[in-house]
Amino acid sequence: MKFNSHPVFIKGKIIENKPLPGDYYHITIKAPEIAKKARAGQFVMLSKWSLKNLLLKRPFSVNSIDADQGILGLLYKKVGKGTQILSDSQPKELVELIGPLGNGFSIPEEVKIIAIVGRGIGVATLIPWAEECSKKGIEIYSFLSAKEEKLLLGREKIEALSIRTFYTTDNGSPGIKGMVTTFLEELLKDNTVHIGAVYTCGSKRLARHIRELQKDYHFSAYISLEERMGCGIGVCKGCVINTIHGYQRVCKEGPVFPLEEVIFDEQ
Amino acid sequence: MNNKVDLSINLGSLHLKNPVMPASGTFDIRDTLLNQRQLNSLGAIVTKSIASHKREGNPGPRIWETDGGMLNAVGVPAEGFEYFKEQIFPLLEEANDTIIVSMVGDSIADFSQLAKRLDDFERISALEINLSCPNLNNGLYFGINKDVLGNLIHQLKLSTRKVVIAKLSPNVTDITEMALTAEEAGADIITIANTLLGMAIDIERQVPRLGNKVGGLSGPAIRSIIVRMIWETSQKVRVPIIGVGGITCAQDALEMFLAGASAVQVGCANFSNPFVMLEVIQGIEEYLIRKGYSSIQDIIGLINRRL
Repeated sequence: MKFNSHPVFIKGKIIENKPLPGDYYHITIKAPEIAKKARAGQFVMLSKWSLKNLLLKRPFSVNSIDADQGILGLLYKKVGKGTQILSDSQPKELVELIGPLGNGFSIPEEVKIIAIVGRGIGVATLIPWAEECSKKGIEIYSFLSAKEEKLLLGREKIEALSIRTFYTTDNGSPGIKGMVTTFLEELLKDNTVHIGAVYTCGSKRLARHIRELQKDYHFSAYISLEERMGCGIGVCKGCVINTIHGYQRVCKEGPVFPLEEVIFDEQ
Repeated sequence: MNNKVDLSINLGSLHLKNPVMPASGTFDIRDTLLNQRQLNSLGAIVTKSIASHKREGNPGPRIWETDGGMLNAVGVPAEGFEYFKEQIFPLLEEANDTIIVSMVGDSIADFSQLAKRLDDFERISALEINLSCPNLNNGLYFGINKDVLGNLIHQLKLSTRKVVIAKLSPNVTDITEMALTAEEAGADIITIANTLLGMAIDIERQVPRLGNKVGGLSGPAIRSIIVRMIWETSQKVRVPIIGVGGITCAQDALEMFLAGASAVQVGCANFSNPFVMLEVIQGIEEYLIRKGYSSIQDIIGLINRRL
């Protein structure tokens, strides 16, 4: 009989937990059972606390996968109790993990050029996908946005993987103020570059704009969504978003969805 | 020292090989991480609530973590009877000897009809009636009105030969009255209890945290309330009690046995630790051995004998 036995429930050892600007951190964890199976776009549920103290695990998208070394990297922002505890944790300490979870990114067969559109920490899940695509010889154009320059997370990695990288920041330095998708539209107008698929994470506003562009230009688009999660494995039905197929679980049917299937609420 | 203890228990005519099972809605046979052997080592499997027709559930956000617990307003999404029959039941049959089907309905007639249809399934051992769902006729939960509750259980007993478990709502003035009503109406077992209604507010955006505005509180925060309800109820009813609410480990479960529960359900702790029920079973066994008991039955309601 078929049970979903793919994700594993394990303890992982922290290798490094590095602070970045603006309350962001990058943590690397030795977790070979997950690292050898994880794909770009997937996530893990993590706790570094007893469930008596803090009930639920927290979802983190996978930011780097080193299958050979068995190491996972996660990028996170200190925002609440869970990430506060995590940010205080030290190398060699243990975390509890369930993963890999959810569906990763995929690419339509004929697509040779893609665009990546990320805002802030949304870039976390897009970096391993850019790495995977780059290895396959797929050309990448990247569009990053953030509040300010120091919060353009993963900028160096993305630049190294991309043919070109465009930026906007809310205060206009670097790049210009405004929406990074304006650059995307200019590129879509350019007949010499045929962007076949766009991948986005981190901003529903940007996603809505990409959806508009999708109506004028022919490309596939995928969005990685986040939602508060109870279990991460599909059991609790807590993390639903509204889609053209009705409510779907971000943890199980997602976190990557075809953009045109997602119904954004009016906000 | 005796190192073989008997964890089996009879809840009336319902026999369990051990007294630990999932709380409805916190376990899904389609998504469990437990393997075949682990599934079969549970005392029973309790399904997510099934309904006669498909239910979409509530808009998000559906969950919010609180201090010591979580609020949920999932809204009992369900695939409907046909889906249950075709897709879920075959998996359940292979998973465990004891299958308890949780059910919701939006009227007494709807409940009764579903119970009749489930009566044909030989391998279903019991029906657990989710009374924390709104009655379409008046919008109120079945579980908060004695007359409606009694009438529903009575009608269900006429509709099915299965063991009927009344899962009571804790959102009442006196749960023992509800328990007595359920018992008089013919309930074979009583589950105490369900989530407690609560609310959380985002003070920055100045809106409720949940899409449904209010939701059910579960987790360690409610456990002491549930233990008190089990203790009070166990002194008034003769039918066995299943305790549920905030169990995260064997010690938590043992409190409920000592208060008078004959079995327990583990709820949202399954989310954080998908294997927690196995740890609870093992911990109960270790406790019984350490204390020199030969059977779980020896400690049920034990505090009453000490008072």
